Amino acid sequence: MEKFKANFKLSMVFVYILLIFGAIIMIFPFFWMITGAFKTTLEINLFPPVWIPSSFNLDNFKYALQAAPFARYFINSLIAMVGSVSVCTFTTILAAFAFSKLKFPGREVIFTLLLALMMVPFEMLVITNYQTVISWKIYDTVWALIIPFTSSIFYTYILKGFFDSVSDSLYYSARIDGCSNWKYLWRVLVPMAKPSLVTIILLNAISRWNSFLWPMIATINVSNRTLPFGLYAFVNEGGAKTELMLAASTITVLPMIILFLFARKNIVNGVARGGIKG
Amino acid sequence: MKVKIENLVKRFSDNTAVDNFSCEIESGELIALLGPSGCGKSTMLNMLSGILMPTEGKIYFDDDDVTYLAPEKRGVGLVFQNYALYPHMTVLENICFPLEIQKVPKEERIARAKKMAELVHVETMLDRRPGQLSGGQQQRVAIARALVKTPRLLLLDEPLSNLDARLRIEMREEIRRIQQETGVTTIFVTHDQEEAMSISDHIVLMKKAVLQQYAAPQELYDEPMNSFVADFLGNPPINKTFGVMNRGKIVLDGGCEVAYPKAVDLDDGHRVILSMRAEAIVVEGPSEAMAEGVIEQTYVMGKEVLAFVKLGDFSVRAYIPAELQLTKGQTVKLSLKNKGVFVFDEETGERLK
Ligand SMILES: Nc1ncnc2c1ncn2[C@@H]1O[C@H](COP(=O)(O)OP(=O)(O)OP(=O)(O)O)[C@@H](O)[C@H]1O
Ligand SMILES: [Mg+2]
Repeated sequence: MEKFKANFKLSMVFVYILLIFGAIIMIFPFFWMITGAFKTTLEINLFPPVWIPSSFNLDNFKYALQAAPFARYFINSLIAMVGSVSVCTFTTILAAFAFSKLKFPGREVIFTLLLALMMVPFEMLVITNYQTVISWKIYDTVWALIIPFTSSIFYTYILKGFFDSVSDSLYYSARIDGCSNWKYLWRVLVPMAKPSLVTIILLNAISRWNSFLWPMIATINVSNRTLPFGLYAFVNEGGAKTELMLAASTITVLPMIILFLFARKNIVNGVARGGIKG
Repeated sequence: MKVKIENLVKRFSDNTAVDNFSCEIESGELIALLGPSGCGKSTMLNMLSGILMPTEGKIYFDDDDVTYLAPEKRGVGLVFQNYALYPHMTVLENICFPLEIQKVPKEERIARAKKMAELVHVETMLDRRPGQLSGGQQQRVAIARALVKTPRLLLLDEPLSNLDARLRIEMREEIRRIQQETGVTTIFVTHDQEEAMSISDHIVLMKKAVLQQYAAPQELYDEPMNSFVADFLGNPPINKTFGVMNRGKIVLDGGCEVAYPKAVDLDDGHRVILSMRAEAIVVEGPSEAMAEGVIEQTYVMGKEVLAFVKLGDFSVRAYIPAELQLTKGQTVKLSLKNKGVFVFDEETGERLK
């Protein structure tokens, strides 16, 4: 018994060492980015490295914001994200309801076909989306960043899974009470699905915010860039100083870090429940 | 409101869940829809509520044909077996919901909901969510929600099956009280005969999609139309024996002769079922003996003794007075009362006597 206890303790120590090690690896880049954003040119190039910057003034941020229109990028990112996520959430709710609760011929076949579409890699869709965007004459506008992302089979699938789990007796009760499909969806199903919905919205928002490939292809004008692509261009084109790059990076990821801190529980729960990939 | 059901049929692709069902339900009555599992009770209820459309037949509420009317236009309240409360709403919001859908002004609907909550005794937990209620409380909330829109017909699908034995008895009396206070015509589904017997005005007994008998509880017990009805009701279960007619007597399998006077005019060779309620068998009584049996086993139950008596191949339950001091292996004379003894046709199960 004693021996078992000792063993147990030892293995826990080992586990914790591993976890701490992993945490350091995860956190270090963020630490380096955020502290680096406050360092002077001299401090950042010193070796051995300076861990804590000498002052915490916002000069680097100021310079970075002047060097490239990050404020513009930020607004573009925000519009693209809010626009696509809100429309996508709406269509996802409607589609999930239809596939889960409405009976219409070919429902299963259609849904299976849609699911099969998930196997087409995004990189391939880029080509057709590009052509669509050109022919719709929305190339290099904010619409090009919103419209291709206004529906999602994957999120529909997740939400349908939740709707499926809601007992039909709730639906029939509501119908007998005089509730239409529409009202039932918004008054009963959606409020019940809130945890799932929050997860979907968060994951969607994060992936929209971070999307890089599509904004790079669909925009050309500097004033239409989003943050990730803007940052990339800033680094590549400007040959900028490291501390300015770090300041710009901090501006880019800060909203997502804040979002994550606020909604951590929802994201973790959702991922654990739905087996959602990032 | 009166409910009239005419030749109702519901077929699912491969089986018939309700077959040629007709009955008339008087206004203000509490009706139990009774039958074994899978006999079509829920299907019947769902057709009344409009969730399911019948394959054939007609349903009338008073004089209106509602057979194909949409559920929301029927004015029925329905309580599901799992109560189907909205988990994200409080008790008050749940009860208000049907009124909200009907666009009843807010103050009025809260007032009406509160009155309903008082009727079903949940007025102290209006702010709780269904997850914070016990099964019995949830059931009462579900009943309040069904009643708040003053339905013409209240339907309850096995509302008590999730409750423990004590709560069941309490709740069934509660249902009876609420039903009598509101006077709403009510149909409730159950597969518990005791539940049906104890609170209903009339019982609809079904078996395998077919209506067996529609009668008041006592009548169902005293005058079953077929052997299924006789078997289904009563505790302890009725004694069921098989035999053949021979010169006015029933010869039970195994050779025991029963001279049941009511059966004398049945044809020789006719195979019959003789069903006797335990309380209808008199052991060593003053009246003329109709059969002889051997005591197999006795159990003292307070002032009475329950005995198993061997009649031919069958062992029947009978009550004997404790003072008779009968013991195992003794031969006794039996007579049968008029009430509680039935002769059925073995082939069809139809009542003969
Ligand atoms: N949607 C359906 N499709 C096919 N068959 C069905 C359907 N619903 C019910 N049935 C069948 O109809 C018959 C009657 O079902 P029903 O649910 O009415 O039984 P019940 O009397 O309510 O039983 P229980 O006491 O177990 O609830 C059953 O044999 C069942 O399998
Ligand atoms: Mg049922």
